[in-house]
Amino acid sequence: MSGLTTALRLAPLFARRRDGDRLTVALPLASFMVVTALVELVVGGAQAFFRWDDDLGGTYQLLAVVALVLLLVPLATVGASAARLAARRRDERLASLRLLGATTGTVTALTVLEAAATAFVGAVLGTALYGATAPLLGLLHFRGAALGSQVWLPWLWLPVVVLGVTLLAAASAVAGLRAVVVTPLGVRTRQRAGRAHWVRAVVALVVLAVGSLLVQSLGMLGSAGGVVAIVVVLAVAFGGALLALDAVGPWVVRLRARRAHRRATTVPALLAARMILEDPKAAWRQVSGVAMTSFVGVFGAVGLAFARVTDTSTLSGDERWLMQDISTGVLVTVAGSFLMVACSVGINQAATTLDRAAVHVSLDRLGVPRAVMADASRRSVMSALWIVAGGSALCAVLLLLPLVGMAVFLQPVAVVTAAAVFAVGFLAVRGAAALSARLVPGILASPERVL
Amino acid sequence: MTPILRARDLTMRYPSGSSPALDAVDLDILPGESVAIMGASGSGKTTLLHCLAGIVRPTSGTVTFASGTGPVQVESLDDAGRARLRREELGFVFQQGLLLNELTALEDVAVARMLAGVPRAQAEAEAGQWLAHLGLAGMEQRRLGELSGGQAQRVAIARAQVGGARLIFADEPTGALDSATSVEVLDLLLDAVRQGRTLVVVTHDADVAARCARTVVLRDGRVVSDWAPAAASAGVSR
Ligand SMILES: Nc1ncnc2c1ncn2[C@@H]1O[C@H](COP(=O)(O)OP(=O)(O)OP(=O)(O)O)[C@@H](O)[C@H]1O
Ligand SMILES: [Mg+2]
Repeated sequence: MSGLTTALRLAPLFARRRDGDRLTVALPLASFMVVTALVELVVGGAQAFFRWDDDLGGTYQLLAVVALVLLLVPLATVGASAARLAARRRDERLASLRLLGATTGTVTALTVLEAAATAFVGAVLGTALYGATAPLLGLLHFRGAALGSQVWLPWLWLPVVVLGVTLLAAASAVAGLRAVVVTPLGVRTRQRAGRAHWVRAVVALVVLAVGSLLVQSLGMLGSAGGVVAIVVVLAVAFGGALLALDAVGPWVVRLRARRAHRRATTVPALLAARMILEDPKAAWRQVSGVAMTSFVGVFGAVGLAFARVTDTSTLSGDERWLMQDISTGVLVTVAGSFLMVACSVGINQAATTLDRAAVHVSLDRLGVPRAVMADASRRSVMSALWIVAGGSALCAVLLLLPLVGMAVFLQPVAVVTAAAVFAVGFLAVRGAAALSARLVPGILASPERVL
Repeated sequence: MTPILRARDLTMRYPSGSSPALDAVDLDILPGESVAIMGASGSGKTTLLHCLAGIVRPTSGTVTFASGTGPVQVESLDDAGRARLRREELGFVFQQGLLLNELTALEDVAVARMLAGVPRAQAEAEAGQWLAHLGLAGMEQRRLGELSGGQAQRVAIARAQVGGARLIFADEPTGALDSATSVEVLDLLLDAVRQGRTLVVVTHDADVAARCARTVVLRDGRVVSDWAPAAASAGVSR
């Protein structure tokens, strides 16, 4: 019998089992919904600027592209979190199926089917959410007028986005399950430890150095290639810095956890360090979104300060609009990235909590106080958070310093914006941690689901 | 002799179940006993163990535990109180081990002591002694995923004893082991009994039950037989 036919016959069985743990379905569904709505809002907002074709229109379009780049990176992390979550606990069932002798084809087909179905339904709901929220986006004023109906995507794009989200979810489900298919026992017993290597640190440093050089020679590039060159350089530098940070983050997290492990004197400290050491990448992932907001936050702070220190008296009316619109755009971008990061952090932490359900049940059976468990989880999240927030802000400042000079960083508006961004970032992570901690009593109330 | 554990009229109904998983069970367990609980799958063995150990609260009935400081009504303790009881007075060895895979063998045992306020260095020293005593010298730094099933159960047995628990609960501790390893693991549990601890072990394995001093058989949530071979040879059945 072909893998697909078997998978189709098994699918209803799995679907029925699900009503036992709705969360496993509801969370990915909601995530795909939010992701889709955000994609459509972001792209819809960006393309609005491409309807202008006057002199300054080009500048607006380039800035829109910068904002798009800054928003697409966090968006990609939300998407990845959602896809991982969709493939999550199913891993275990599928590993069991595999132990029972299901073929690789069956297992793969079943997973892809499930992930794709979840993503599709989520994407359709997300498009409805977009329909409901796009008018709000239309209220934004640029060049003194509301964007209005310009934020609507051409309707043909909507099925394309839905299809894209579905396909991406299916693809990442396939990627995520390769390990299960190859080593069913490895997954069932959770023996694989995450790896994080120092080579990443070297690569990251090189990327940062190149980015910094690029930014420093921006003046020269700008006179040679104009605004296009500047935007490209900035996008490359920031994208590179974010990737570098993502590469080096897990490694730094692991180093810190090792030290914390040696020094731990209490059970929560010991457990937290071990949780991180078990999978530094997962620990990083839980908070890595904050790197984006720190980055976008510093970027935004500089943008706001820059618009403020520019002498507007010599500018034409259109150029004055531009300065004001930069502030609007910065605020929208920062707000948007926060929304996405809050989603991604929430999804990742919920997934981690559910992943660790068996550990929670075990600890509870052994009489470990719930406060100790909560403390351990909180520590494992917050220790990584400091590294993420500090490291990314430092990178952003280093990149921007040669470009705009110290004076801009010392502008009150820059300081206040940056501080606000960090405060909100911390609150978002703490909030997500508190929300996912609420899953624990439910897990403990019905342990038979995880043991 | 005062029982270390006394259950009266213990009844457990799960919300989804039509008939009770436990139906008015009375049971006394004496200090230093080794009690096997047997019965068909679904007869209520695990449920009984969980009620006795304060892991779940029975629908009705009482469980009295003779703690070091006096009798405790287990069923009327809140979540935190029952967690404290499990942590401080009871030991557990379950089929899946209930081990924390990210910890090393040494840490897994030491954590039990650290929770009781023992400093880490001392907790690890005590843990090391127990592991060595159970034949795991040299494996202290292995992560639990790197141990065999039998070795993992030894770690669990070390952890159950390191805090001085007087009562050890085991749910199919040999369920996932081959017969030679099962014998070794049971030997270690019975060693604990010889040192004065009390053992309650749920098992499907008649060989395991035969080596316990007493066997309680459940059917449909009721005790249908309670048999102590040693006493039986003297002509007494409970
Ligand atoms: N969490 C639960 N919710 C609902 N019913 C349950 C739950 N746990 C157990 N039961 C039911 O209670 C009865 C007794 O279950 P229990 O797990 O105690 O049996 P057992 O003797 O340990 O079986 P096994 O030998 O298979 O482990 C069974 O009918 C079972 O289906
Ligand atoms: Mg059982």
